[in-house]
Amino acid sequence: MSEMLNVKDLITVGIFAVILIVLIFAFGMLGYIPILMLALPILAALICGIPYMLFLTRVSKFGMVTLLGLILGIVMFLSGHTWVPILVFTLFAFIADCILKMGNYSSIKNSIISHGVFIMGIMGNMLPFFILRDYFMEAMRVSMGNDYVNVIAPFLNNGVLIILFILTFIAGVASAYLGKIVLKKHFEKAGIA
Amino acid sequence: MGLELNFNLDPRTKIIILVILSFMVFNDMSLYVSGILVLIPFICLLFSNHKKSALMYIVVYVLAKYIQIYILPTATGLEAIILITFSYTTSRMLPILMMGYYTITTTKVSEFISSMERSNIPRDIIIPVSVVFRYIPSVYEEIKSITDAMRMRGFGMNIKSLKNPLKVIEFYMIPILISAVKTADELSAASLTRGLSNPEPRTHLLEVKLTKVDYSLLAITFIGFGIYAYNFLRGVLIA
Repeated sequence: MSEMLNVKDLITVGIFAVILIVLIFAFGMLGYIPILMLALPILAALICGIPYMLFLTRVSKFGMVTLLGLILGIVMFLSGHTWVPILVFTLFAFIADCILKMGNYSSIKNSIISHGVFIMGIMGNMLPFFILRDYFMEAMRVSMGNDYVNVIAPFLNNGVLIILFILTFIAGVASAYLGKIVLKKHFEKAGIA
Repeated sequence: MGLELNFNLDPRTKIIILVILSFMVFNDMSLYVSGILVLIPFICLLFSNHKKSALMYIVVYVLAKYIQIYILPTATGLEAIILITFSYTTSRMLPILMMGYYTITTTKVSEFISSMERSNIPRDIIIPVSVVFRYIPSVYEEIKSITDAMRMRGFGMNIKSLKNPLKVIEFYMIPILISAVKTADELSAASLTRGLSNPEPRTHLLEVKLTKVDYSLLAITFIGFGIYAYNFLRGVLIA
């Protein structure tokens, strides 16, 4: 990778990583409301499309999107989200990168789909909660009785996780489409897209 | 008060401790097992100009544990859900969140780069990460001045503007993105003139090395982790 990416590319990755992190953390504040915590990836996906599409106008090499995912994962790790996000973010960013490569980094359709895939990496922040699920359930079974747990259990299983993934993907695609419009409205006029 | 007790750890030590603390999230143990690991962020924060956050951390943690042990068995209804969510997330997530807070606030960028280069991390990762650390404060500055400018034009953050969230997002996002693109160009020009693209190994003004404090804290962490892992494995084998 070292021969292909020059310093300018690396700095661009760093700058856009900051913007995505600030957006994700700003919406992360909403996560203190318990129910909204589950909807967090979807909200973040809705908002990250605009910077991502602007980022793609600067990308013409394989590896930049993967690196962006890796950096986001590392920052998540350093700010205390465990090492799960590093793996998840890098994996999804790599898939997004492959999709972009198939469109030769210029196809609009491929860039919109690649944002949908890329942003699913945010689920990496949520995965620890789903791994912890059993403990929550056990504690609730003790204090609330079996009936209650049987009612609430369907909302905390792997099916919900899959639905969340799908919803995040849809939100990501929608927001990438929005990003394309904003790009046309503001940045092409200003000559920086 | 004249006594200087503060110490600063090597970034590598912080990262190793962070990795070890990550394991704690997956498993809840009684306090006598995980106690040492819980105390490490407290010690780090206490001896590094973050005494207030250290005290707040330990108070919140003890409160969560207290709720978990004494109040939960008798709680019912909606109250119980809130208490369970609070106490379980706090007792698992708070130590590592505080360690992350400590790592971010006490590490200087040059220290970080220097220690990463000594452990042979590829340049492709070091440069973006150091840009991230450098640029986060200026994004906050940017947001502050955009808010001021918007208030001057009569678009302050109030109930009226929250009726139209898309507009608010647009007004914030576009200036930030434009300035980000500009900063990226300027920063790469500046670092190219300073020879960042030179493939030769670089020299550093600030040499980092592992000191006695690092070694002793690492030793404590490993002892704590050993006790933790031993108890965890025993629990798995019995069950």
